[in-house]
Amino acid sequence: MFPDRQPRSFLDAQVLSRLAAVPLFARRPMQGTVSGRHPSPHRGSSVEFAEYRKYVPGDDLRRLDWRAYGRSDRFYVKEFEADTNLRCCFVLDTSGSMDFGSNGTTKKQYAQRLAGSLGYLAVQQGDAVGLACVADGVVRNLPPKRSPAHLMTFFDMLEEVEPHGETQLAAVLHELAETIRQRALVVIISDMFVEPEMLRGCFQHLRFRKHDVAVFHLLDPLELAFDFRRPMRFLDMEGGPAVFAEPNEIADRYHRALRAYLDGLREVVLESAIDYHRVGLDDDYEQVLMRFLVGRTRSEGVR
Amino acid sequence: MSFLQPMLLAALPLVALPILIHLINQRRYQTIRWAAMMFLLAANRMSRGYARLRQWLIMLFRMLAIAGLVFAVSRPLASGWLGLSAGGRADTTIILLDRSPSMRQQTGGAVGSKIETARQQLARTLRLLGSARWVLIDSVTNLPRELESPDALASLPAAEPTSAAADLPAMLEAARDYVRANKTGRTEIWICSDIRQNDWHAESGRWRALRDSFLEFSQGVRFHLLAYAQPAVGNVAVRVTNVRRRQVGDNAELLVSLRLARESADGSSTRGSGAAASNDPSLAAPATVSLQFELEGARSEVTVEMTAAQFELQDHRIPIERSRQRGWGKVSIPADSNPADNEYYFVFDESPVRRTIIVSDDPAAARPLELAASIAPDPALRAAVETVTREQLGSVEWEHVAFVFWRAALPSGDAAASVQSFVDRGGRVLFLPPGETTSDEFMGARWTDWAEDDANVAVETWRGDQDLLAHTQSGAALPVGQLQVRRFCGLAGELTPLASLKGGAPLLARVPTPRGGVYFCATTPAPSDSSLAADGVVWYVLVQRAIAAGAAVLGNTRQLVAGEASAEGPESWQRQAGPPDAISTDFAYHAGVYSAAERLLAVNRAAAEDHSPVLADQRVAELFQGLDFARVDDQAGSFAALVQEIWRLFLASMIVALIVEAALCLPKRASGGAIEPGATGLQASDVRHAWADHVAGDGEPAARKSAPRTEQGVPA
Repeated sequence: MFPDRQPRSFLDAQVLSRLAAVPLFARRPMQGTVSGRHPSPHRGSSVEFAEYRKYVPGDDLRRLDWRAYGRSDRFYVKEFEADTNLRCCFVLDTSGSMDFGSNGTTKKQYAQRLAGSLGYLAVQQGDAVGLACVADGVVRNLPPKRSPAHLMTFFDMLEEVEPHGETQLAAVLHELAETIRQRALVVIISDMFVEPEMLRGCFQHLRFRKHDVAVFHLLDPLELAFDFRRPMRFLDMEGGPAVFAEPNEIADRYHRALRAYLDGLREVVLESAIDYHRVGLDDDYEQVLMRFLVGRTRSEGVR
Repeated sequence: MSFLQPMLLAALPLVALPILIHLINQRRYQTIRWAAMMFLLAANRMSRGYARLRQWLIMLFRMLAIAGLVFAVSRPLASGWLGLSAGGRADTTIILLDRSPSMRQQTGGAVGSKIETARQQLARTLRLLGSARWVLIDSVTNLPRELESPDALASLPAAEPTSAAADLPAMLEAARDYVRANKTGRTEIWICSDIRQNDWHAESGRWRALRDSFLEFSQGVRFHLLAYAQPAVGNVAVRVTNVRRRQVGDNAELLVSLRLARESADGSSTRGSGAAASNDPSLAAPATVSLQFELEGARSEVTVEMTAAQFELQDHRIPIERSRQRGWGKVSIPADSNPADNEYYFVFDESPVRRTIIVSDDPAAARPLELAASIAPDPALRAAVETVTREQLGSVEWEHVAFVFWRAALPSGDAAASVQSFVDRGGRVLFLPPGETTSDEFMGARWTDWAEDDANVAVETWRGDQDLLAHTQSGAALPVGQLQVRRFCGLAGELTPLASLKGGAPLLARVPTPRGGVYFCATTPAPSDSSLAADGVVWYVLVQRAIAAGAAVLGNTRQLVAGEASAEGPESWQRQAGPPDAISTDFAYHAGVYSAAERLLAVNRAAAEDHSPVLADQRVAELFQGLDFARVDDQAGSFAALVQEIWRLFLASMIVALIVEAALCLPKRASGGAIEPGATGLQASDVRHAWADHVAGDGEPAARKSAPRTEQGVPA
């Protein structure tokens, strides 16, 4: 897999081999370029029957179902599903806040693992993989391709990611919704420190473009627990003003704000039918990915 | 509130420890690079109301806990003694104990009298407060007496009630002298009294001097007044005003005059008319009093009805044996709130001859004097007058003389010594100006020059409340104002004027003496000098009053006021009647009948004890103005401790504060479920439903849903 390179720090061959047992499915018809294992919006030549359609002049007579004609004295054309590959676009948040991690692993490193592993699995099953590194704009963009050489480029770009700048996730998602061709699998990996109401528009925009959207919401355990003992001075990793706080005094309100945010986000992702996964940095990423893949297996086939 | 260990209050600044720790904690902050700033900023925007209040409450309760601990170890005292002893343990504690008869009063059916209650309360309180030295100054001796401990107050004879009146200024003077002589450290003076006017002498000039003296002490003197000011409303006091033995034919009888006085709500018994008393509802109801006379074992009883504040019984006749020339007796009334004034002792004897000596070199001038002295106001009284010249003074038997008229140059040499001795024994002398004045001086007073005025000079002022020119028993004033003086002699020296002429010259003056009486009259009864003889009432009354006072020390019986100095030392007295528990050295302070050699002595309380109102609170406060003074009012028979240690209360407060603080510190129960790091917050069913809705709402797959997806599902 890495014949002439050092092993990627965010890839684990054993994990990849275990994950390879579960295919990556899209939850809705994808529009690929070649045949694959994902449903297509178009009729094709797969073995899976799709529907009968009335014959219209110009249709290929070879696709007429003579048995149906014999039974009903009408002309029907028998159609079959088409299988195609998908374009998997990873949207990786590279804002300054992704450099945070309280237990030795930063959000950036965790995101690299998720994106690298999923990208490898996708290419292995013939899907195209692209990468958009976003912060206050689209910092770097790699269009989706399915060749193994492209995978190396994908890994290189993933490895070179450096968290920097503010988060402008909402604007960037709107931009990407327009620029990515319709019917792609868009995987967003971010800490999502944006107001849920702003994300609602983004997700609806992506849905309008018929993308299958999956979100990995990365949160550090310390951000959830906020169990400081001493007064703290919090420096904004994205360059904002510092905040001095007495944790005993502010913890209650912090949790209230966090809970309100998570509730709001939950509501948004439910309304937008987003494949949402809240991920703690202390979670095993293999488990996270396994849940992700298995969850998609259950909803596979819906066209 | 006060403290037994006030030095520990110095630890009170520790109360600020939580604030200090809080501030230090604030300085020891840590810096961290933080990603989730949006929640911090949102938290900052939220209302801090309860959270901030909770933090302040936690700090407050921590401070309260420390304060409670500090106060508890300082051993706080709860009492009415506001500002009791903020300086801690005293070096010297001086107890001024009022032992006057009014302190035997009991109130409200209580078991103990005021003085018994006060002794117990003082012992209990002072034992708690502690002191390096205890000193008792009782109202009888006014002498400081060191005590081993306050507990001695309960059993000390010197703390027992007596019949002698108290003199609070004198007691305070003794305390002042003690403090000055012993150079004591921080001193506490505890005054225990019922604040009667006759004991406190609030109008005395000594109070000002005392205040100034105590203010001069640098070590700090604190005064505590334990006041038992409840008047004994309705208490009846009996007092014998006169006792005479009379021979009636072959029989003899005793004529006893007495007075009953009821105490009003303000603590006084109105003298004279009952006009003021009639306004007092407490005295409106008539009271029946049973008088019991005891004459050396023989008892008789008479019941009288009091309709006013006072009742006078004149010349109540008690038959006695003809052979009994002298004896003693007692009048008592049923028990009431103050047992000290329910008895009165008297002694009687055949009246002695009221012998008067007129010292004059001019027999003619001595004639009006002789007339005034020789006519006794009562036929039963025998009077004798003898006129002598200065040279004949050596032959006078001074021990039988009651009164001396001196109308000659002032005595000097042996004559002065004789007169001085006579006065010290209790005799009375009235000096009249000689024809020609000299520079001789007697007891600090001397005659100056004669002054003569063509017009008669009237008397402008005179003392009608006491002494020779006092009002009569019926309250009527003597006609002193009608006197006309044409010629009078000037007086020089330290004299107390009893009557003054217009222009300020004294007409009648008295030299202050501890016993006896020395009077100077500035004019003579001669018609050329004044109308004293012509308007003879004033002259006769003053002469007879002086003779009566002088005669009182003659004879073998004597009515004494408890506590007042007497010629005979009480050490030689034998008790005939009186309190059995009184020790012999204190006989002079306890009511009773005592015999000394051939004499019979009846000791009773002072007349002022029967009609002494309670001093007003404001007046008491004025007496201690400028001094460190605290007062508490207690009641006779009260069992409530004046001072209680309440450190337990503070300890409990500390525990409560700690519990509340712990409760406030408890983490708040999470509302709406805990936030789990790894949970998505979404249920699989939620996602599936949402996805199904999403697909259903999507226009694109709708056409496919309308068609069957099985081969058999060909539309009909």
